[in-house]
Amino acid sequence: MRRRIGVALVLVALVALALLVPPFGGDYYVHIFALVFTNVILAASLRPSLTCGQLNIGHSAFMSVGAYTSALLAKNLAVPFEISLLCGALLATVVGLAIGYPSLRLRGVYFAMVTVAFVEVIRLIAQLWVPLTRGMSGLSGIPKPSVLGMTLTTRASQYHLVLVLMLVILVVLWKLEHSRLGLIWKSIGMADNLAQSLGVNIARYKLMAFMLGCFFAGVAGAFYAHFIRFLFPPEFGFLMATNILVYNYVGGRGHFVGPIVGAVFLSLLSEPFRGSPYETIFFSIAMLLTILFLPGGLITLPRKLAELRSWRTASAPTPSPAA
Amino acid sequence: MPLLETRDLTRLFGGLAAVNRVDLTVDEGEIVGLIGPNGAGKTTCFNLLSGFLRPTRGSIAFDGRDITGLRAHQIAARGLVRTFQLTTLFQEMTALENVLAGLHLHSGKGPRQVLFSRRDFPADEIARGRDVLEFTGLASHADQLSRNLPHGHQRVLGIAMALAARPRLLLLDEPVTGMNLDESGRVMDLVKTIRSRGTTILLVEHNMKAVMGTCERIVVLNFGQKLAEGTPTEVSTSPQVIQAYLGTGVGHA
Repeated sequence: MRRRIGVALVLVALVALALLVPPFGGDYYVHIFALVFTNVILAASLRPSLTCGQLNIGHSAFMSVGAYTSALLAKNLAVPFEISLLCGALLATVVGLAIGYPSLRLRGVYFAMVTVAFVEVIRLIAQLWVPLTRGMSGLSGIPKPSVLGMTLTTRASQYHLVLVLMLVILVVLWKLEHSRLGLIWKSIGMADNLAQSLGVNIARYKLMAFMLGCFFAGVAGAFYAHFIRFLFPPEFGFLMATNILVYNYVGGRGHFVGPIVGAVFLSLLSEPFRGSPYETIFFSIAMLLTILFLPGGLITLPRKLAELRSWRTASAPTPSPAA
Repeated sequence: MPLLETRDLTRLFGGLAAVNRVDLTVDEGEIVGLIGPNGAGKTTCFNLLSGFLRPTRGSIAFDGRDITGLRAHQIAARGLVRTFQLTTLFQEMTALENVLAGLHLHSGKGPRQVLFSRRDFPADEIARGRDVLEFTGLASHADQLSRNLPHGHQRVLGIAMALAARPRLLLLDEPVTGMNLDESGRVMDLVKTIRSRGTTILLVEHNMKAVMGTCERIVVLNFGQKLAEGTPTEVSTSPQVIQAYLGTGVGHA
């Protein structure tokens, strides 16, 4: 019970902190945190698929589908933001079905290869279908997001929008992970043949996890499109896809908060390198350090530190390592 | 009517017939052993029966209904449940959770019911799970992570999970491999008790002592074909079987 109250307090404090960003942070931080939250949605929505043991290195493709769909509908057909966002997410889901269904039988690396190839296919379509997407000139003039007919003109209001989107999505994903569905995903990830022999239709549940991720990636993409208001095909390439995966691994696979921690931590730290070649180096080093020193991800850091401390008090005192 | 009946069951891997025209029947209430030298096709046979592989030719009937070509989960749902040769468990779950997974997963709930159900198991399911653990002698390990259990217990847990899925026919793939005499004796006793509770059993095993002491009928496979069939005494005195096992001359192919 005390633990539950503690968790609730921490959550309230975090949301309060998030709400303090617009009044105190200024547009720069509002902008950055809006992107951080987009990354959180992307990372968290990849988790169900990873839990099932599907190494999906193509999540950015579904973000791209959501982004372009919503942007084009809003720009060319003046579709309201809520509807265009939903259409983007749904199309991403349908595309997810089309790519997920035939590749369900593939495992591990083979599945990963299909998703990598798919990222490139989507990128090339966005790049080469110039009449629709403007290709490498980039798609600009995307309307700002609106809610119930009111255009969200200020950065702060857009920030609140993505904050709400993120919170809703996280609650949904949390609920799913802690339902029987989550248990089934977990069992498939641990031993799919055993799950099958106990009567689980693993193909169906894997596809569900995959499509769910596609839907939320589509939502994230749609928000991104109307927030940045400029879409450029290479942005949704392989680099972005691996970053989403890295958020999950650096944050930690063992707990729901893993991808959230990973996404927040890495997006904030990598901010100075955004768009430069150093970004790749930064992510590689982060991944390497995690694998070497924290195989369970950042979420295992407190436990690791406690272990270290007890070890140190047990043995002779040693100089503390650099922070 | 036999509980399980295969006709002309064949599986080719490339040009190799891993299982070749096998007619196999198992009657309700029997304990049948499937034996044969390494590579005889026993495990392939199990994979065909449980739907992990599709037969190239032939048919499988369970309880009078054709189940040829059904998927593994569909076959499991009909009451034909298997265990695995290697220790296959949900490693990061406790023993009780493993059994609960077996209880729940077979329940035939569709995605919609799964979606709106809580993860916490209702008290009656937990009670049933504990019953299964009690029955298999694992009650005192209920809350241990399954990967931390000793090998023998892990194998028994595999059987417990299959039992939780309430099989009518239980396929046991090498249940006592890697166990000492004492452990394997206990597992074979467990197998007999399972049968006496109404579950039919078909098992693959290399431990001849265990097989001969437990099975009423034995089917011998060699090079994918049925070589002999009969009581343990008949089989163990059959010259063909002795030849196949000792490898003198050319086996019957």
